[in-house]
Amino acid sequence: MALLIACLLSACGGAKSENEGVQDRLNTKELKYFTNGKRLYTQYCNNCHMDNGEGLGRLIPPLAESDYLMEDLGRAAKIMKYGQKGPIAVNGTEYNQPMPANPQLTPLEILQILAYVSNTWGNEADIMTLPEVQEALKEQ
Amino acid sequence: MKLWKEAFVVGLLVLVVSCGGSGSKKLPIMGRQEFKEVNGKIDTIYHTIPNFQFVDQDSAIVNEKTFEDKIYVADFFFGTCPTICPVMKQQMLRIYDRFKDNPNFAILSHTIDPEHDTVAYLKDYSEKIGVMDNKVWHFVTGNKDEIYEMGSAAGYMVPVGEDGAAPGGFIHSGAFILVDKERRIRGYYDGTKKLEVDALMSDIPKLLAEYE
Repeated sequence: MALLIACLLSACGGAKSENEGVQDRLNTKELKYFTNGKRLYTQYCNNCHMDNGEGLGRLIPPLAESDYLMEDLGRAAKIMKYGQKGPIAVNGTEYNQPMPANPQLTPLEILQILAYVSNTWGNEADIMTLPEVQEALKEQ
Repeated sequence: MKLWKEAFVVGLLVLVVSCGGSGSKKLPIMGRQEFKEVNGKIDTIYHTIPNFQFVDQDSAIVNEKTFEDKIYVADFFFGTCPTICPVMKQQMLRIYDRFKDNPNFAILSHTIDPEHDTVAYLKDYSEKIGVMDNKVWHFVTGNKDEIYEMGSAAGYMVPVGEDGAAPGGFIHSGAFILVDKERRIRGYYDGTKKLEVDALMSDIPKLLAEYE
């Protein structure tokens, strides 16, 4: 019985927030990026990378605790804008599903999406600056 | 203390009953109906899924006989879909994981891009999302016109087709379609929405119970 109650309680709200600590880590401006990024993520990324960032099996790579994402955010900016083809290794698993380009995304929007994905689901990273994102997007 | 315990159990019961209260209610039968006079009585003829023949990810022929004595969930997708397909597959995986051990349950996913989505491609795709065999979940390809015909008013009645202007080049419905053993459509659910898929997952046992 106690176990059942415990299960019920944890299901209701005991679980830790996916964005725990983000308020302490980011300043006001960065939090604004993060919040806008979450909205843009839902619009552009969520259908494939899923709302918890776990991706889909060995078809679509995870963003949550993803070494491929976190080791080079500039590369991630490029992939968002120009798409991605060919095999990549993420957390030791090979993925080879093309990702479509999103040419309509502005550097600021890409910066906001990056702010979100690199600071949620257990990810932690410094927020890039707009000139850094613009620089990364220069070369396709 | 004992009283408290009893009250809790009653409370739980109420909760369970209120969550699944419509359990005895039959699911609707969808689609056009025709009425036919047989020996002076009016019979209702329901819309049924016509015969078909496709090939699945293990090169097995899949037709109406594959689903004899089974209820199944059907959908339409394509492997390179940049929009709603992955989330549909994530949701279908929840259904698969819940019901895959039931011998009276199956899933039928039609590709609407058969030129690209060959048997070999579908095998790779299905394995990558975690479906290792074709026992329960058939990913089928075949003649494009016949696949589109299955989506039409003659079949599952959902929009599918080619459209150069759509992302990825195809339009298709995100619907999951629940079909009974008589091949009648018993429900439509938005396969991109967790809550609607939850509803489907509670309707599947209700439909199975009709045959007990």
